[in-house]
Amino acid sequence: MNLSGQMIWQGLVNGLALGWIYVLMALGLTLIFGIMNIMQFAHGEIYMMGAYVVYYLTASFGFPLLPATATSMVIMALFGVILDRFLFRRLKGQVIGPIVVSLGLTLILMSSAVVFFGLYERSIPMLAQGSVNIFGSIVPKDRILAVAVAVLLTFCLHLFLKKSKYGQAMVATAQSPEGAILQGISPTKMSALAWAIGCALAAAAGALGGSLFMLGPSMGLLPLIKGLVIIVVGGMGSLPGAVLGGMILGLIDGLVPIIFGPALAALLPLLIVILVLVIRPQGLFGVEHE
Amino acid sequence: MLNMNRSMLIKIFGFTGLAALFIAAPPIVSNIYWISVLILTQIYILMAASMRTILLIGHISLGHIGFMLLGAYGSALLVMKAGFPFCMALIVAGFLSGLVGLALGYPFLRVRGIYFAILTLLTSESFRLVAFNWRGMTGGAMGLMGIPSPDAISIPGLGVIDFSTTEGYYYLTLVVICLSLMVLYRLERSRLGFKWRAIREAEKLAQAVGVNVMWYKLVCFAVACFFAGIAGALFAHFQRGLSADASSIFSVLTSIYLLVYIVVGGENKFAGPIIGAFVLSMTSEFARPLEEFQPMMIGGLAIVVVMLMPGGILGFLGQIRFWWSKVLKQETRQGIKG
Repeated sequence: MNLSGQMIWQGLVNGLALGWIYVLMALGLTLIFGIMNIMQFAHGEIYMMGAYVVYYLTASFGFPLLPATATSMVIMALFGVILDRFLFRRLKGQVIGPIVVSLGLTLILMSSAVVFFGLYERSIPMLAQGSVNIFGSIVPKDRILAVAVAVLLTFCLHLFLKKSKYGQAMVATAQSPEGAILQGISPTKMSALAWAIGCALAAAAGALGGSLFMLGPSMGLLPLIKGLVIIVVGGMGSLPGAVLGGMILGLIDGLVPIIFGPALAALLPLLIVILVLVIRPQGLFGVEHE
Repeated sequence: MLNMNRSMLIKIFGFTGLAALFIAAPPIVSNIYWISVLILTQIYILMAASMRTILLIGHISLGHIGFMLLGAYGSALLVMKAGFPFCMALIVAGFLSGLVGLALGYPFLRVRGIYFAILTLLTSESFRLVAFNWRGMTGGAMGLMGIPSPDAISIPGLGVIDFSTTEGYYYLTLVVICLSLMVLYRLERSRLGFKWRAIREAEKLAQAVGVNVMWYKLVCFAVACFFAGIAGALFAHFQRGLSADASSIFSVLTSIYLLVYIVVGGENKFAGPIIGAFVLSMTSEFARPLEEFQPMMIGGLAIVVVMLMPGGILGFLGQIRFWWSKVLKQETRQGIKG
């Protein structure tokens, strides 16, 4: 295969953008897991629905892209709160129940998307047109903007968790549910908050992913799996771990298919996960429990 | 004592009835489409039952389909490229899946429960993508075509059974799957199964009384993967062609369906996944005109069962029997009083 510097550069930029989308997914998943001890396997469908909401807002109502993304985040946050209130809050403490319910939800949402949105792929208008020149290489503007939005959201989440009263309450609940209750922190409020933030992040990731690539009813599966893997590699509940894991997976997706072919690119995340688990079972930045 | 005998009788009658039904099915339905549906249902039954074996140690595998893929491609390639006879390829495919399960189980089973589900999900998706992209070996996106069906054998008393016909293959699948289910059942009832359940209930305690927890977990996972490989080999030689694209049987969705089968049937009983797989396969077969609403129905059913009917169909039947016996007791008491 003829490898030019430009192709590798392209792969690097694509990989970074993908990586940040995966990071947003992983942050939502780990937030919900930290508070509820429930793994949200329907997160990929939230991603897909977030993207479709943006599509309809831009295509039918003529919203500009960034306000549409913000609206989609709010709508998905409300959807997350509803899911929490009527399904997942009742399943807290069960092992197999939440997994089955979130997977059943995946089936329902995915087939609803086929019914309502149709099987053919659509596209959201691009985030930005044109490209800029960095160090003599051409970088498309939309990739830069996507990374900027994702970094901004991650930074906001970091600030929220570190500085605000509610963020600190969430951290406390994740560390010790009983201790948090004794301090007067309502666990139901915290779980609703976790679902709202997690689903909003997934909707943002969906909007970014939908504008960089294509929209389709089964678009959510890949980011879901990547987000889950990031949690395992980076360590549950760790923000730097999620960012590092996202970068690793994104770069694998961007670079390895170009250089080594798609078969190895499919196998490499599995090998990395096995390597990490053998060396550090709790993940790169994880804290050992019990 | 009487009660015990009665429940034993129900079990024996149930199983003989079911077996008779399955043996008599091809002449009754006498329709190649429906016999194929039944073959696939049997394969799903073995998949669901072996997946439930992993539940015995308290882990949920969302990637069981990946090990079925290993068995399917392994057996197909052994027969096509290495010239193995089918029965050898079937066993070797099972051992291939089992060994890969053993090797992957070591890192996967060291971590917390939910990680295992994530990691098996990743494994099956990775296997699928490798099969989809490895053009030299698996045919890549074109798929693997022209897998031969097993050679005909002649059994004294029964005559020659030709496995290239759908009926012949149906009986082959039936025999292999019944044997596999019997092995799984015996394993669950053996000391090994007892240790598996001990690990699920109290891992630390089991360790303290001298059970090698890691080893027994590994054995459990490897056994389940072995039977997934067998199911895959049966599938490969039935379909005569394999493909690993996103809409094939090897996608993550099938793993989700398998989990739903187990939960709807009732995950606490051995018969749970068998009944769940049978009932739901038949339901979705009859619901085929609904097309894209079909997954919605299965997903909705899964949620309803988890929220309202924990224990699944079998748990619900047990509940009904419990209520019924209470009603009977009250009647006898009133009879005695009156």
